[in-house]
Amino acid sequence: MQSRKVPQPGWNLEYTMWMFTRLSGLALPVLGLIGITAALVMGARTQMDLGTLMRWTFFPNVSHVTSSNIPDYVPWGGAFWQIMQIMIAFFGFTHGFNGLRVVAEDYTNPGFWQVFWRGIIFLVWLFSLLAVIFVIINS
Amino acid sequence: MEVKLKVFRYNPEDDEGKHFDTFTLEAEPTDRVLDLLEQVKNYVDGTLTFRRSCAHGVCGSDAIRINGVNRLACKVLVQDLKSKTVKIEPILGLEVEKDLVVDMEPFFRHYKSVLPYFVNDDPPPMKERLQSPEERSRFDDTTKCILCASCTTSCPSFWINEEYVGPSAIVNAHRFIYDSRDQAAAERLEILNDQFGVYRCHTIFNCTDACPREIEVTKAVGEVKKAIATGRLE
Ligand code: FES
Repeated sequence: MQSRKVPQPGWNLEYTMWMFTRLSGLALPVLGLIGITAALVMGARTQMDLGTLMRWTFFPNVSHVTSSNIPDYVPWGGAFWQIMQIMIAFFGFTHGFNGLRVVAEDYTNPGFWQVFWRGIIFLVWLFSLLAVIFVIINS
Repeated sequence: MEVKLKVFRYNPEDDEGKHFDTFTLEAEPTDRVLDLLEQVKNYVDGTLTFRRSCAHGVCGSDAIRINGVNRLACKVLVQDLKSKTVKIEPILGLEVEKDLVVDMEPFFRHYKSVLPYFVNDDPPPMKERLQSPEERSRFDDTTKCILCASCTTSCPSFWINEEYVGPSAIVNAHRFIYDSRDQAAAERLEILNDQFGVYRCHTIFNCTDACPREIEVTKAVGEVKKAIATGRLE
């Protein structure tokens, strides 16, 4: 049977975030794998305790790397790894806070409380993201 | 065999409030739960109120909660129940009017909102609007819905928020969205592409478990989400 085309409905917040959740869900493990592979290549093979593993996978930040006694930590301070960290933080925070928004909207109707919770969640998301970007850029 | 029927009771006109009445009945293993309710109504307590019509799983009027799960009273046999005490309650998420009867207005309002009818503005051909057997089979599953509300009232998203259009309405939209002769798929997708449309579905699968017609409800909802995302009806 042939597939038929149907005009897609317009973009709205729900659709955008629904799509984003799926795509970021795929992006996070991929970015994590890149981080951990690079850590292994750059000399982390002998120091893989769980905490270190998690840091390299999800937050390959230069100060984390130095505290793990990697022989050559200079590459981790470069722009590439900073962008990687910012991307992981952005996808992770947005994915998680959007989940909170969905929970809040499950329990509220359009009106004051929905706007209130949306606002709070948006502000905390924004603050967390800015704080983490600040840490990444200054470390 | 002896069966204990524990039935939810509520009469807005007396001050007993919401409570349970227990009836001890003699039943055959092949009796249906509906037969037990009829036995109470006809021989023990004529005030017991519930909906039923066909008594054969076709009209969809006797969806109730039997031992905690949504079922049609006319399709569940006593021998298939795990215990000899049967707890009967109204379906959840809709306001109880009396005993097992709930207000179905929100349910049908959502049903009507998705244009659950054939739309085609082309002049009808001399004989018929042809459709291949394959095209027909594409939406066969969702034609089976009898609007009993078992799926919608088993959905936690609907329990929390009555504004959610609910799985049943999405199933009925699916039935026409995937019909090759219909021309209003885009309108239906637009209606369902909403905060209270498909996005309140969190893929919980209660609806699929509850459907007495064994419709793959969650799958149908997923297909509608996919159609919104891809603009293709496959
Ligand atoms: S009475 Fe008609 S479906 Fe059960």
